[in-house]
Amino acid sequence: MLSNSVEETVKAGRELGGKLKNDDAVLLYGEMGAGKTHFVKGMALGLGVTATITSPTFALVNEYKGLYHFDLFRINSLDDLYAIGFCDYIGKGVLAVEWSENIPNLERELDDYYKVKIAKKGENAREITIDYTRT
Amino acid sequence: MTILGLDSSAVSASCAVVDKELGKIKAYGSVNVKITHSQTLLPLAENILKAAKLSLHDIDAFAVSNGPGSFTGLRISVSAVKGMAFALNKPVCGVSTLLALAYNLLGRDAIACCVMDARRGEVYNALFDVCGGNVERLTPDRAISLAELGGELSQLTEKEIVFVGDGAELAHDYFEETCSIAPEITRYQNAASVCFAADESEFVPAKKLMPVYIRKPQAERERRP
Repeated sequence: MLSNSVEETVKAGRELGGKLKNDDAVLLYGEMGAGKTHFVKGMALGLGVTATITSPTFALVNEYKGLYHFDLFRINSLDDLYAIGFCDYIGKGVLAVEWSENIPNLERELDDYYKVKIAKKGENAREITIDYTRT
Repeated sequence: MTILGLDSSAVSASCAVVDKELGKIKAYGSVNVKITHSQTLLPLAENILKAAKLSLHDIDAFAVSNGPGSFTGLRISVSAVKGMAFALNKPVCGVSTLLALAYNLLGRDAIACCVMDARRGEVYNALFDVCGGNVERLTPDRAISLAELGGELSQLTEKEIVFVGDGAELAHDYFEETCSIAPEITRYQNAASVCFAADESEFVPAKKLMPVYIRKPQAERERRP
């Protein structure tokens, strides 16, 4: 789908959030400024999470009731991923994982996942693709 | 020697005070309610000491299951023990979570197949020969697929094999009727077993205690190019 604004990206996230099961994993891919955090803000709305969603770049994970929002920008390997306790969160709530591209074999840790790719197509335009995979 | 033991290697958290000379559990408590161990473990320790009219000054040493297990859980119990032992200048013993699980089967004559769920068809596992009061290690602690473990278990035909640990049901479902499963009351990690498994020759100063994480096999851990 095509998003032409931050609002439309939030709306796309909200639609996905509304149909997630309570322990689904959503892996987000996209460069800096693509709108990953806005998409997660939408997911939170769709999940009924009322807290203000902010980027977890420095905290690695922000925990909300039923939603765990990860940012793997500073994580470079599966070893690091294990070390931050990522696997302890699997199955405990919805996972939203920004910078999933940093861990090439991240999918292997999951039984099923959504891949959300957000590509810049201009100043405000974004192409958002969502795929669901069960391994 | 009176030992205070902690375990929060998986979903439950527990604390025990054991008199090693007498081989007696003086106090024991456990919670399994999905509240983070950082909120349950130390109140639990404080409350069982209080109930037993003991204080930390009655404790001669500490024991903790230091891996394998949940990375977050291990860090909570290991750092709690490190902090108390450091402040009181008492020795500590890090105990393999899997070895402690084998001690759940003391008194039996069986192969303890200690299994903790490592997800995706894998378990943290070690095998032990339990004979009455003795526990003999047969394999190192490792991460292994259920399929591979099945191959090993099929070679062990002389004794009953008993699954113990939070992966016991998973493994038992996988192997079905060939092995038995420890009953609920002895199935999970517990701090009393950690105290019994603590070897007095392995006590170290607090600063030397470290969690022992077990990684999945190398093939799964390719680095980013």
